[in-house]
Amino acid sequence: MRFRNLDAEVTHMTRSPTHGRSRRYPVLLSLLVAAAAHAHAQAGLAGGFASGFLHPILGGDHLVAMVAVGLWGAQLGRPAIWLLPITFPSVMALGGLLGVLGVALPLVEVVVALSAIVLGALVATAARPPFRVAAIVVGIFAVFHGHAHGTELPAAANPLAYGVGFVLATGLLHLAGILLGTLVRRPWGAGLVRACGVVVALVGGYFLLGHSGLFG
Amino acid sequence: MTAARPRRVALALALGALPSTAWAHLVSARFGDFYTGLLHPLTAFENALPWLALGMFAGLQPRGRSRWLLLAFPLAVAAGAALAGATGELPGLRLFNLLSFVVLGVLVALGREVTQGALIAAGTVVGLAHGLENGLAFQRGGSLLLFVCGVGCAGYLLITLAAAGTQVIASRHDWGLIAARAVGSWIAAIGIMMTGLALTAT
Repeated sequence: MRFRNLDAEVTHMTRSPTHGRSRRYPVLLSLLVAAAAHAHAQAGLAGGFASGFLHPILGGDHLVAMVAVGLWGAQLGRPAIWLLPITFPSVMALGGLLGVLGVALPLVEVVVALSAIVLGALVATAARPPFRVAAIVVGIFAVFHGHAHGTELPAAANPLAYGVGFVLATGLLHLAGILLGTLVRRPWGAGLVRACGVVVALVGGYFLLGHSGLFG
Repeated sequence: MTAARPRRVALALALGALPSTAWAHLVSARFGDFYTGLLHPLTAFENALPWLALGMFAGLQPRGRSRWLLLAFPLAVAAGAALAGATGELPGLRLFNLLSFVVLGVLVALGREVTQGALIAAGTVVGLAHGLENGLAFQRGGSLLLFVCGVGCAGYLLITLAAAGTQVIASRHDWGLIAARAVGSWIAAIGIMMTGLALTAT
């Protein structure tokens, strides 16, 4: 009996026009709530972690390239699907080490944008080179991505927390790419993943044009 | 519905009016040094990450092989924390602890098996070194015994949870071993960069 009453109550809630309106007001009111304004940047452990975590995410070319690594790994299947995400951070750390030590690499930002174009194109064409070739291609780009992150590490509020943040974010972006890439097992998924590759390459192209100065 | 609403509002108001506990004295009045010792390694990436890697590496070993590590590591950490007052800051200690990120992270990433003796030896050396670093944070005038017990408990908690969690996940799920090895490579990557930074600083 109690369950029947509950059913009736739920039916009333979902069908009642007044109930829908009453739910609308809190939503509208919540839009008026002002967000907190931070007058000072975060410092210490939290600041270092936040800036490191956001560094690969807020850089569009970094973001799409990392997702593309996961997508390509999923397309290539075993062992690439798990070897690329395991080896990428270590190779990226070598690039980061060069950045920390102040060793300059040429055209870092251009190569980062280029990595998105190349990786996107490889995903879009579902390229299947030998694993060693794939590892070398990804490894070269990993060094440049690591260098871009590593140069900012010494100046971070907390360098260790910054390093933890950007490595974690990079790994999670790989994971996102792998999860998206597992759609290749479905009949319609292969095309979707290849379309994602096209988007990655386009984003990379946009950033490359930006570095060339065409957008001012 | 209409009858239930006032009851819910009244319940919400009553819950909102409940007083929260007021602490007249800080927890540090008695066991403060224990909590300081417990939280010090758990709230610092410098300790938490290599300990996590060691626990994960233990979890990747065949069942039963890492059992004695769960005893050896916390004892080594506690011994290190107790000895820190006598030894002071040893030269190269910080660099050694940063290198433990790299070594332990690589071991997890490779996922290789080692003998029980090697595992205990590695855990004891890492535990002693990290215990010494933790012991340097002990404030004079407090209870060293409580602080050392806290650091040792932290070592036991982290290593046991990491080892057990890794063993369960890696043995029950296909992706578990891959995830553990990926986390190992992340820890190694952080260690490589931090070691480089420490070298440039020196």
